[in-house]
Amino acid sequence: MQIDTLSYDSLDSRPLPEWLIDQKSGITTIQPEEIVMREDHSLTISFIVTGLFIILLVALITLYINRKHKNQES
Amino acid sequence: MFILLAALISLACTTRVSEWVLLNALPNQYTLVYFHKGSVSESVKNQNQKLAEGINTANIQFKTVSRQEIAESYYGLYYEGRFFSKFMTVDELKGLSSSPLREKVAAELMAGKLCVMLYLKTDNKEKDDRGLNTLHSAIESSPFNKIITVVELSRNSREEHHFASLLLNVEDDLKDIQEPMLFGIFGRFKALEPLLGGGISGENINLMIDYFTAECSCLIKDDLPGTDILFRDQWEHPQTALLNKIIDDNPMLGY
Repeated sequence: MQIDTLSYDSLDSRPLPEWLIDQKSGITTIQPEEIVMREDHSLTISFIVTGLFIILLVALITLYINRKHKNQES
Repeated sequence: MFILLAALISLACTTRVSEWVLLNALPNQYTLVYFHKGSVSESVKNQNQKLAEGINTANIQFKTVSRQEIAESYYGLYYEGRFFSKFMTVDELKGLSSSPLREKVAAELMAGKLCVMLYLKTDNKEKDDRGLNTLHSAIESSPFNKIITVVELSRNSREEHHFASLLLNVEDDLKDIQEPMLFGIFGRFKALEPLLGGGISGENINLMIDYFTAECSCLIKDDLPGTDILFRDQWEHPQTALLNKIIDDNPMLGY
């Protein structure tokens, strides 16, 4: 279809070709997998578990030593 | 089953746009219509038969249409329902479907080149040189420079006036814009909508190259941009795409 007048004021405002718009926005290329950042609790859990382990170990050793002391006294 | 599917998907994605279009996308058809009023004389019938035979190897079909409202007979060239050009005599149609520069462009595409960048000049030296310098420096700095052919054509060329006219019909308003234009030609003579004037920049030329070298996604296959240029059909057995070797040697260029 021929047109008689240009539908824009200057060459700068002329719409870009569709393929160029797509290239600029990157939608014609295969998109890499989107990496979603998730909160990482592993360090906290590790500290808690280690802390509990140490507390438990200290408690067990304390109990063991106490019993040993009581046995020796009796 | 999954391994087979994954293998098929990976195969499908290794073909690049330029190669996929050359191998698979058939060019759209033009229609040349002879409009006449009343009966057609035998000499005109013979003349049109010769004309139809002369263009029957190209992506064009010939039709005859009777119209009472026209003053005199003429030929109209259409592409996908869009009116391109009007010719009053059969002599004006000489060289419609082929020309030396179109032969050269097609030969480059068949030789496995990535694309042909056709620089359509205005014959205003200052304007033409500016865009041409940008084009040459962008191509030189591209890793694909050896597989891109640059050709120049004046929009006022007499020898290639049909070719120039077809290019200026790629978009409705191009004939009215007196600026140099850069057409990326690929596949079976498909011309992308051009970069023009100040739009012929290093960034945009690289984006054009990126389009041709991109992995062929379904999005591209389903909605191919550009206009097929009228040319005789000679697309059997093209050479292997030269792009593949460059990407094989340097896989980082493929992303």
